[in-house]
Amino acid sequence: MVNLNTVPPRNNRDYYIAIGLEGSANKLGVGVIKCSRSAHMASGDNSHNCDVEILSNIRNTYVTPPGEGFLPRDTARHHRNWCVRIIKQALEEAEIKNPHLDIDVICFTRGPGMGAPLHSVAIAARTCSLLWDVPLVGVNHCVGHIEMGREITKAENPVVLYVSGGNTQVIAYSENRYRIFGETLDVAIGNCLDRFARTLKIPNAPSPGYNIEQLAKNCKNKDSLIELSYTVKGMDLSMSGILAYIDTLAKDLFRGNKKNRLLFDKETGEPKVTVEDLCYSLQENLFAMLVEITERAMAHVNATQVLIVGGVGSNTRLQEMMGQMCKDRANGKVHATDERFCIDNGVMIAQAGLLQYRMGDYVKDLSETVVTQKFRTDEVYVSWRE
Amino acid sequence: MASSSLDHTLTLDIPFETEAQASIAMRVLQPDPILRPQDFEVTYSTRGASLVVSVASVDDRVLRVGVSNIIDSIKTIVETADELSLQQ
Repeated sequence: MVNLNTVPPRNNRDYYIAIGLEGSANKLGVGVIKCSRSAHMASGDNSHNCDVEILSNIRNTYVTPPGEGFLPRDTARHHRNWCVRIIKQALEEAEIKNPHLDIDVICFTRGPGMGAPLHSVAIAARTCSLLWDVPLVGVNHCVGHIEMGREITKAENPVVLYVSGGNTQVIAYSENRYRIFGETLDVAIGNCLDRFARTLKIPNAPSPGYNIEQLAKNCKNKDSLIELSYTVKGMDLSMSGILAYIDTLAKDLFRGNKKNRLLFDKETGEPKVTVEDLCYSLQENLFAMLVEITERAMAHVNATQVLIVGGVGSNTRLQEMMGQMCKDRANGKVHATDERFCIDNGVMIAQAGLLQYRMGDYVKDLSETVVTQKFRTDEVYVSWRE
Repeated sequence: MASSSLDHTLTLDIPFETEAQASIAMRVLQPDPILRPQDFEVTYSTRGASLVVSVASVDDRVLRVGVSNIIDSIKTIVETADELSLQQ
């Protein structure tokens, strides 16, 4: 039995209000959620069905020029510059008048992510906590994604595919942990796509992955894929080799290296492939690998549902391929959310943090709020599930 | 090298509006560990409505980088206190 009502809301309210602060990568997000303290939450396993109402969900992204990635130092500076403004905006939109009375808990990302950006947001979270006398909860970023995905899609016990700029993991729940079944052995899928976007010098707004997706959609010859290695290793996968290879292809194409017979016709010297073809083949190849390990995880745990979370999860082609696989497997179902919840945001941190808080697990001493770059998904004890 | 003396020192005295704010700043800054404790040391305290930051380091380069990071954090705290304090 899980009782999510152990900690009563402040100020004799019959609902909880949580604010979430996220800043583990180049997105700075602040979200406020409201969640009723209904009787059915006092027993059973209902953490995926909390009737969450989103009062505000503000995000500000640090966008770098084409061909450039975001560096920790500059990203931290961006977060410091915007943090207070975004918090203020989120509070105004949520019509929070007095944070001391109206907010139950401040949730912030404790890790994993880039150290400097995480730290800059944690400083603001600690200050707010002391100014308002509101407790803090440090949240694991991956768990934030999972809990938000479950709440939005109402998927009770799905296999979770977590794909973003920094992480690629297949996760399934078992005995109070989100256990990692398979993951990348080197770079994350989002990192792979972002870096290829840098080679192509395409814009980083709204996101490099989105722009690759649009290019891939315009691919004219989808029947002939460019051959790339398919590197699934057991339950894990590797993507750095694929990236290095396709990077060389793109550079040869731009330089007009006619010696490359894959790219240029032997007789006429005309290019045989386009940038769109490269994007399409890269996506198909990587996503096929993801679908394979996800399917294997489903077979292991006997699941019928897949939940895709993380920034790359907003890719419609990935959702489509995963949907096809689920359909072929005994009427499975794929759950995905749109960019508001897939891409890093404050609301997901608030959601996971509030569950933690309602189980009585919050920061008792500020020394527990030190951020950490390495924080694995299975380190978190998931007390709010059976 | 390991036990070289931290003889490059600097003390910052940062005034806040109230004693409570200075104390909040101190408590916010204190938890974070120093990445290279053998090269850099910092202690936070308050004197009235002022936050006192005492820094000691092996050379002026490490000192400059460390102090610059602390000031960045303090800027966030000051801005948060200015903009998000509870209205009395």
